[in-house]
Amino acid sequence: MTTYEIRTRRWTRAEYDRLVDLGVFQPGEPIELIGGQLMVCEAQGSSHFTTVGLVDDSLRAAFGPGWVVRAQGPLALDDESEPEPDVAVVPGCRRDYLHGHPGLPVLAVEIAESSLAFDRRDKGSLYARAGLGDYWIVNLVDGCVEVYRERAQDVTAPYGWRYASVTMLRPGETVSPLGAPGARVPVADLLP
Amino acid sequence: MATSEIRPRRWTRAEYERLIEVGFFQPGEPIELIGGQLMVSEPQGRRHAWALAIVDHRLRAALGSGWTVRTQMPVDLDEESEPEPDLAVVPGNPEAQPVRHPARLALIVEVAESSLAGDRRDKGSLYARAGLADYWIVNLVDRCVEVYRAPVSDPAAPYGWRYASVTMLRPGETVSPLAAPGARIPIADLLP
Repeated sequence: MTTYEIRTRRWTRAEYDRLVDLGVFQPGEPIELIGGQLMVCEAQGSSHFTTVGLVDDSLRAAFGPGWVVRAQGPLALDDESEPEPDVAVVPGCRRDYLHGHPGLPVLAVEIAESSLAFDRRDKGSLYARAGLGDYWIVNLVDGCVEVYRERAQDVTAPYGWRYASVTMLRPGETVSPLGAPGARVPVADLLP
Repeated sequence: MATSEIRPRRWTRAEYERLIEVGFFQPGEPIELIGGQLMVSEPQGRRHAWALAIVDHRLRAALGSGWTVRTQMPVDLDEESEPEPDLAVVPGNPEAQPVRHPARLALIVEVAESSLAGDRRDKGSLYARAGLADYWIVNLVDRCVEVYRAPVSDPAAPYGWRYASVTMLRPGETVSPLAAPGARIPIADLLP
């Protein structure tokens, strides 16, 4: 007896954008397209939202003009993914993205509380596959910032890629974005 | 810690029907809404299709006038399910049916070869939850007809319900639909 091959339907990014245009979703429904799957990412608490603001402020100061720091905006990441990272840094100015979401950012940051395992394993693999060179998780559970770099193929990862380099930074240390190597961002500034 | 519980987005039947109406899916795309998830079913094998045509023919002959037998057509099972069972039996002749998918079904029959495990566990639980009183699986693997009746709630089942009564009928025996006790169908007729 062969196994019952049944699976959920996968969505392309073009289909997802059409669903959004059709007004299929409820206003404010927290949906992201992750590797062809429509995922609901539940509403966030006050510490999560506060931290988004702290990271946003710090990265604006670190990157300066010529960069756009976007909080919880969609990314046209790949053909089957349109995630909304908590904070993403992309080149140019805001109007550059009037007619299309940015693709690959130079830095994406997720603020993780209950989503920590998903942000590490699934989002990390998704971002690594897409070619993101600098991925940070502000880990509210352990009070540290995890810096993921150096993408490597790994067939055991959810999307076939992972980051080979992981650095855990604590308050008192600093982190320099790959896209703004001259800037030194205190880890304490990124944590609530 | 009220942050993201990340899970697949669920669809309601109303949303699913709207997507069909606006022509969202490819023509002939093999999808069904099962418990809020859009599932892709594998193409059916030639043996399944051949057996289904025979079961369809004999079931219609046994039931006679006063019933509509729908083959692989959608049914409005519940608020988040619109499956397409192999055979669905509805009271009344076809011309007496309203122009919508039927919701109150007298009998569902699945013809199972590779789908046997899923038809028993997942579809069985889904149909039991919806209150379907009479569910048959024409089991081509073991050459028998499995008759499922008496839905009961069971938190361990995929959709929280299962059938309390399961009867395996073999060639030589007969089966009568609950809704048509006068129709006696030889099991051998349902097993090509």
